[in-house]
Amino acid sequence: MEYLYTIAILMALNVILASSFNFVIGYGGLISIAHPVFYAIGAYGSALLARDGGVPVLLAIPAGALIALAASVLVALPSVRISGDYLLIGSIGVQLGILEAIKNVGWTGGAGGLTNIPALLRPGTDHGVYVALVVALAVLSVLLLHWITRSGYGRAMSAMRDDELAFAALGRNAVAMKVAIFALGCGLAGLAGGLYAHYFRFLAPAQFDILQSAALLTMVVVGGMRSTFGPILGAIVLEVLPQAITFLDLPAGLLGPMQGILFTGLVLVFMFIRPQGLIAAGSVWRGRALEEGHAGQS
Amino acid sequence: MPVSLEVRGLSKRFGGIVVADAIDLELRAGRIVGLIGPNGAGKTSFFNLVSGVVRPDSGTVALEGRDLTGMKAHRRARLGLGRTWQSLRLFPSLSVLYNLLIGARHYPGERLATLILEHGRVHRAEKAGRQRALEVLQRTGLDGFAHREVGSVPFGQQKLIGVARALMNEPRCLLLDEPMAGVEGQAYRTIQSLVRTLAAEGISVCVVEHNVAFIRDLCDEGVFMFAGRVLARGTVESLIADRRLTELYFGT
Ligand SMILES: Nc1ncnc2c1ncn2[C@@H]1O[C@H](COP(=O)(O)OP(=O)(O)O)[C@@H](O)[C@H]1O
Ligand SMILES: [Mg+2]
Repeated sequence: MEYLYTIAILMALNVILASSFNFVIGYGGLISIAHPVFYAIGAYGSALLARDGGVPVLLAIPAGALIALAASVLVALPSVRISGDYLLIGSIGVQLGILEAIKNVGWTGGAGGLTNIPALLRPGTDHGVYVALVVALAVLSVLLLHWITRSGYGRAMSAMRDDELAFAALGRNAVAMKVAIFALGCGLAGLAGGLYAHYFRFLAPAQFDILQSAALLTMVVVGGMRSTFGPILGAIVLEVLPQAITFLDLPAGLLGPMQGILFTGLVLVFMFIRPQGLIAAGSVWRGRALEEGHAGQS
Repeated sequence: MPVSLEVRGLSKRFGGIVVADAIDLELRAGRIVGLIGPNGAGKTSFFNLVSGVVRPDSGTVALEGRDLTGMKAHRRARLGLGRTWQSLRLFPSLSVLYNLLIGARHYPGERLATLILEHGRVHRAEKAGRQRALEVLQRTGLDGFAHREVGSVPFGQQKLIGVARALMNEPRCLLLDEPMAGVEGQAYRTIQSLVRTLAAEGISVCVVEHNVAFIRDLCDEGVFMFAGRVLARGTVESLIADRRLTELYFGT
């Protein structure tokens, strides 16, 4: 049972991570590889606030998400102003730099990891409660992002991706929009981090390394970029497949490389055979049924 | 007529190419000025500099007495500077109606926090924007195309969408970059009468166009540009009659 709970929680967290990453790179058109590091900032922020700062866990988790959000604004503001390409460069620096910092300072537990993180639930509580909480938050996150992308805001995101100059010349502020998209996406990654920390109660920097970016990208690409259900499907498939591999009884030394090959292979196969992913998003923006209905009255 | 757009000493060079060389130009409310000149004269660059899409090396731009120098393109647009593009630049992922809605003057829903926290306000603005878009579509004879993808609309109507989209922002000054290139028939007449009506409403208009008949019929005045400089200004007739200018224009 414990094992199934663990899988369910990791899946739900991956759904939050993949959906928010899809929001940033798919809908926002913002090329970043730093998603895992904002996941880490939320996790470490929340864990340290609760463990060393005495903040109740229930408050520490949203606080961790806010710290990740604030950090993402600091990253996005200077780079997005210059041009979109600088965000990629900035995100590489942040991903490598912050992780290196976490490994090397004392108060994060260093490379050995952060231990003794307080749990959210009192000892003895059925872990199914935590599963329900994490799944509920994953569903809410997905619904929020879906709602945004189908609103006038989503329409504006679509126009901004189409043509940023024309967008600006119509009075729309592309820089503010990119910063907001990045902040919300990274804030949700931070939320997932806090939820991870107070269940597993141990954090190691290696969990948040650049390989995680590759895994998240795989979920989004394989599932279907710019669709609501694509990243969910991607997150589930990519959680189940590596687990299935462990049942193959391979020598332990082969497991890691096998998973790496699996991720890379999947991305390549999909790029060539089905670039739109399992669930293809249309090339034309569609609003909410209500808005479409409104439009229909003309 | 009061001065609408006032440009002083606008200069820009890309490496060795001077695209704007100390350009001075005034547009007056209600007047239509034709900007003429051979390809590469710097007409589009002039629009880019005025609309804030390209930063000038020096010079100032003011709209209705308000200094726009150094301002970002989106702020200039909100202050009433509208433009269209020689290469259209419509949003292919949006329907015609939605292309227009991107230009809506007040749109609180483009702020994420407002969208989430003040949904009622956003909903009202959305309805108002839609209303305005439908009016503009009617006015430009595009109402039949509202829900079509822009790519599926005939070329002449696509040009009209570009103009209609710029009107959503209720501009005080409108810069039209070759609105007639490749347009004929009904769309041609619609654009012509639309520009006249807009000017009659007090908007200042500057139009780049190679179609001499269009310029002569429509413009109160012509400005001749060459190599980033304004060489002459006067009635369109007088510019056409100037041998020196026609030689530059046709590159003989
Ligand atoms: N971004 C740019 N970088 C370099 N050169 C440019 C750029 N934009 C325009 N130019 C050059 O400036 C000159 C004027 O171009 P343009 O303004 O498009 O002329 P027009 O609209 O009158 O045909 C051309 O020689 C063009 O190649
Ligand atoms: Mg041009």
